[in-house]
Amino acid sequence: MKTTTLSRSGYKFANMNFSSKLLENAVDAFASLPGIGRKTALRLVLHLVQQAPETSEEFADAIVKLRKNIKNCQVCHNLSDEPVCEICSNNRRDKSVLCVVEGIRDVMAIEETQQFRGLYHVLGGIISPIEGIGPNDLHIDSLIGRVQTGEVKELIMAISPTIEGDTTIFYISKKLRDLDLPVQLSTIARGVSFGGELEYADGLTLGRSIVSRIPYRKDE
Amino acid sequence: MEITQLILTNFKNYEKESFQFSSQINCLVGRNGMGKTNLLDAIYYLCMGKSYFVPNDRYLSLHGTDFFRIEGHFDREEKREKIVAKVIPKKKKELERNGVPYAKLSEHIGFLPVVIIIPDDTLLATEGSEARRRFLDNTISQLDPLYLKHLIQYQKVLRQRNAALKQMGESGRFQESLLEVYDLQLQMPGLYISEKREAFVEEFNPILAQVYRTISGGAETASCSYRSPLQKEPDLMELLRKHRDKDRILHRTTTGLHRDDLVFNLDEFPLKRFASQGQLKSFILSLKLAQYELIKKNKNQRPLLLLDDIFDKLDHHRVDHLLALLLDGDFGQVFITDTDQKRVSQMIESRDSSYREFLITKGKATAL
Repeated sequence: MKTTTLSRSGYKFANMNFSSKLLENAVDAFASLPGIGRKTALRLVLHLVQQAPETSEEFADAIVKLRKNIKNCQVCHNLSDEPVCEICSNNRRDKSVLCVVEGIRDVMAIEETQQFRGLYHVLGGIISPIEGIGPNDLHIDSLIGRVQTGEVKELIMAISPTIEGDTTIFYISKKLRDLDLPVQLSTIARGVSFGGELEYADGLTLGRSIVSRIPYRKDE
Repeated sequence: MEITQLILTNFKNYEKESFQFSSQINCLVGRNGMGKTNLLDAIYYLCMGKSYFVPNDRYLSLHGTDFFRIEGHFDREEKREKIVAKVIPKKKKELERNGVPYAKLSEHIGFLPVVIIIPDDTLLATEGSEARRRFLDNTISQLDPLYLKHLIQYQKVLRQRNAALKQMGESGRFQESLLEVYDLQLQMPGLYISEKREAFVEEFNPILAQVYRTISGGAETASCSYRSPLQKEPDLMELLRKHRDKDRILHRTTTGLHRDDLVFNLDEFPLKRFASQGQLKSFILSLKLAQYELIKKNKNQRPLLLLDDIFDKLDHHRVDHLLALLLDGDFGQVFITDTDQKRVSQMIESRDSSYREFLITKGKATAL
């Protein structure tokens, strides 16, 4: 990719010319990461070159160890050091409630809120045949398996309110119904955001919020 | 509602040009290929967020350039509105109102109602059903923003359903329960769309019949009837279930609202088979003018009327009749293109409407 930009010192360079093949390789490696362009990659590489050699060793070591040893939890498919992750093996968490999410980042976001004390189930995506993702590409069977143990009383579907998200929720609920599994299904509330002003809420959200309004309680 | 000013940058054959329009009749004259139609299309673009002629924005920028910009100033309900459309490569196209970009293009549809009439509209009668569904959708969307939302949703689910069927065909594993989920998701928007289409045709027919009588002077009654697979089986989910085996073999969704159609009739005879060329032309013109009347009535606002080369292949007598109709009718702002410099201006001068005439030559305009 050719870039024509003004560098901070003010001169123009059409293509990066490297004095060192080693430097170029490192820049290529960083630039292959999502969200990192070649200029940022160069800055990061130059920074590492200016640090003590151990810094780079530790850095590389962390990446190699991560890739070698990281596992997916056998139960919920979240990332984990052990075969079963820390959340699933925590006895103080409520095993009767499962929060079903698309990906690992969703687990982190919900954990951050400290509002949920149950367990998770990571699907690994949502059903979207256009992108080549069918139900069998997701961890739906293992979710059904967890429900079949009888320990789970409620599934909270914390899935994006898109058409594909709805497909996924419908599909799971249909599977559960076909198997006649007595589990309560809920979805996260959808509506006007906290601190949001009504006039800026989009019509669909506002419309839904009015239809599915909730009783007012003074203590909230 | 009217457009007072238009500024084009790199749009089709206009490099940089601005126009001040009359609030009544604007006549764009010039030879073929000079850019008259492009000017109409630019106005249409500001109203509908896309070109009427070219589906891909990439082909709308001036030859040798890769971006374009259309800016229009409108007077609408005693307020000035500035609408800007910007298409820049690798960026999402942007449509802004008074400097604020729309989050979704669909939110703009219906804000500036528009009706465009072109010679190729006769294809509406002779070509496949897709063009007629587009006419239905274009009209109802301008009247009902919720219709457009449901339509977009229906189409998105349909695309996923078709992709799923294709994949099932390739892998040989048929997943009935996934199709049932998509059927359920088609149901809600599907029923809304179907009800609205039916109601539209009912409201539209008396207007169409009246406009046709005025235009043709004939005694026949023009009408259109709505045809939908839902008329045989009103439950969409049941209908889809009945076609599941067929879908499975053909790897696509073979029934649903995307197979709806409009049948055009003169008295009880289908236009397609029995009409003369003249009747056909009159019918299509009536269809579009009835669209104008319906939008005007429902929105309590006069849409912009864009007329492209409508006098083409009409004899002198019919041209006079049509022009008189347009000039004396209750239309708001009208844009007419014509290859004949004198024709329209002479007709207008004999009345005393306010009008402005532009001579278009190779992407340049001269006010006459």
